[in-house]
Amino acid sequence: MKVFLAALLFAAVAAVGVSIVLNTFQQPSYAAFTTGGARVGDPGNNLVGPG
Amino acid sequence: MARVKFLCDADRCIECNACVTACKNEHEVPWGINRRRVVTINDGKPGERSVSMACMHCTDAPCAAVCPVSCFYTTADGVVLHSKDLCIGCGYCFYACPFGAPQYPKVGNFGSRGKMDKCTYCAGGPEADSTPAEYAKYGANRLAEGKLPICAEMCSTKSLLAGDGAIIAEIYKERVTKRGYGSGMWGWKTAYSDSPTG
Amino acid sequence: MQLSSPLVRRRSRNLETEGRSAMARSHSTRKACIPKAAAHKASILKALCAAFALLFVVAHPAAAQLSFKPTAEAVQEDKLLNALKEGDKITGRITIPDAMAASLIQPAGRDWRDFHRSKLPIIGGVAIIGMLALLAIFLMVRGRIRVDHGFSGTKILRFASFERFTHWLTASCFIVLALSGLNISFGRILILPLFGAQAFATMSTYAKFAHDYLAFPFMLGLVIMFLIWIKDNIPGKIDLQWLKRGGGILSKGQHPPARRFNAGQKGVFWIVIIGGSLMSVSGWFLLFPYIPANVTTMQFWTVIHAVIAMLFIAAMMAHIYIGTVGMEGAFDAMGTGEVDLNWAKEHHSLWVEEEQAKGHAPSGSTPRAVPAE
Repeated sequence: MKVFLAALLFAAVAAVGVSIVLNTFQQPSYAAFTTGGARVGDPGNNLVGPG
Repeated sequence: MARVKFLCDADRCIECNACVTACKNEHEVPWGINRRRVVTINDGKPGERSVSMACMHCTDAPCAAVCPVSCFYTTADGVVLHSKDLCIGCGYCFYACPFGAPQYPKVGNFGSRGKMDKCTYCAGGPEADSTPAEYAKYGANRLAEGKLPICAEMCSTKSLLAGDGAIIAEIYKERVTKRGYGSGMWGWKTAYSDSPTG
Repeated sequence: MQLSSPLVRRRSRNLETEGRSAMARSHSTRKACIPKAAAHKASILKALCAAFALLFVVAHPAAAQLSFKPTAEAVQEDKLLNALKEGDKITGRITIPDAMAASLIQPAGRDWRDFHRSKLPIIGGVAIIGMLALLAIFLMVRGRIRVDHGFSGTKILRFASFERFTHWLTASCFIVLALSGLNISFGRILILPLFGAQAFATMSTYAKFAHDYLAFPFMLGLVIMFLIWIKDNIPGKIDLQWLKRGGGILSKGQHPPARRFNAGQKGVFWIVIIGGSLMSVSGWFLLFPYIPANVTTMQFWTVIHAVIAMLFIAAMMAHIYIGTVGMEGAFDAMGTGEVDLNWAKEHHSLWVEEEQAKGHAPSGSTPRAVPAE
């Protein structure tokens, strides 16, 4: 039983850790698709919501 | 009720991107979201054609069919809209869409790609018509004001037509007859399988 | 035309020199000053030049293109669509940095939609409900597999803590991944009508988060499982014998010999490793859609992910059945790590002998031997 609970806890902690790591790699489209010729500041939140 | 459609006359499109600019301005579309785009076939070669492409508001919309949370709906005019409150950002609608209309605010799928956004035929969304809440989520609602989509209104050569499907099909056919050629009603066979010729 | 200019220049130069010399002589017309022989040469020269120019007009490459009418003979949509091969797309040039926007029409999306709404539910339904039915019938006909000689009361260690930890890590992640994945495929048909749109969408959002993030501990568990158990899961001759006798599963009293893992368990191991790897690879592309940045590639990987998922779930249902309800004494292996000696002798006789030879296990059903005084 202990081992089972330990496994569940490890899975949950790992999932949270992974979410933090992946969200540092997450990019909004305006950042991912900015080219050298375009200077994009904050394009606003219309249609896409905050964050 | 009229069944509205888009028709881009590729023989008139000069790739000026006025339709793209008008859409971006009207709905304050952020950078990275491309509700409407112009694609040029055979660029630089004889017979080059440009087509303005956005959501075609298909008859049997594949996006609506594959959505795992069923967030799409079709209005009485035939406009295909979706609810951003229900959307989970899974990306399935993009894989199904023959025209690549769905756009996402983020590039990785982990967590979410964000709420899907696409051309609304300037018809807003499920929120109350012409309210700031609707504008913030879905952009302007011109149809509620009795106007047609701004991309077609702004088209410099009147290549992009929007409105009643039968009427714009008729206009296109007149043009083809008069000038003697036409490269096709781009996307109609795929989008409007029930009435591919108008 | 390029060629006319030097000719024109030459002609005008001739006239100029002629003109200057004529003016120098007198104010008479130029023509009167040109000698007859020179005039004859000039007319031949003109004819030759005209013929030469005509030759160039006809032979010049650009002349051939004049027969193409760019306005009328443009790309035709229906010709492009007919020329498309399976899964291909009509693409063009765009000014948007996102490469996926270059696709103008991809008819394969229609086929993908058909697969996902028509064929996949059938595959999933047959696999999962079919397996459920098979297991129910098996339970009814064969009943629970009992330990023939009854429990001895003596235990033998089968799985160490770390092995059990790895199994439960992978298994618990699998359950959540399977349920959240099935929600994507079937939730709209089965669950949405029960809970309503908003509640279902909220639940699906969290299910999607869980699916995306628990995939990583699942992949870690797979890797560890592979490393710790690969050596006991290599197929051998004994497995062939075991399979020929149906593993003894169909009739009472039949106990073909097996080592640590019998052929059925080796099958499960390889299904988990191969199926899990396919799920991981396809899932990786679904997590990072801008690695391929190609809608056709994404469609392929979603199909793999969905089909393998259905088969994987069906296989795991059988594994869960046999490890819990299907066979008494089996769950202890993963539950406490220690199994009954009689159970072990019946189902993994060769393994028990190996363990006894190593001194890891008590011999027979007698208590552990006391060293001689």
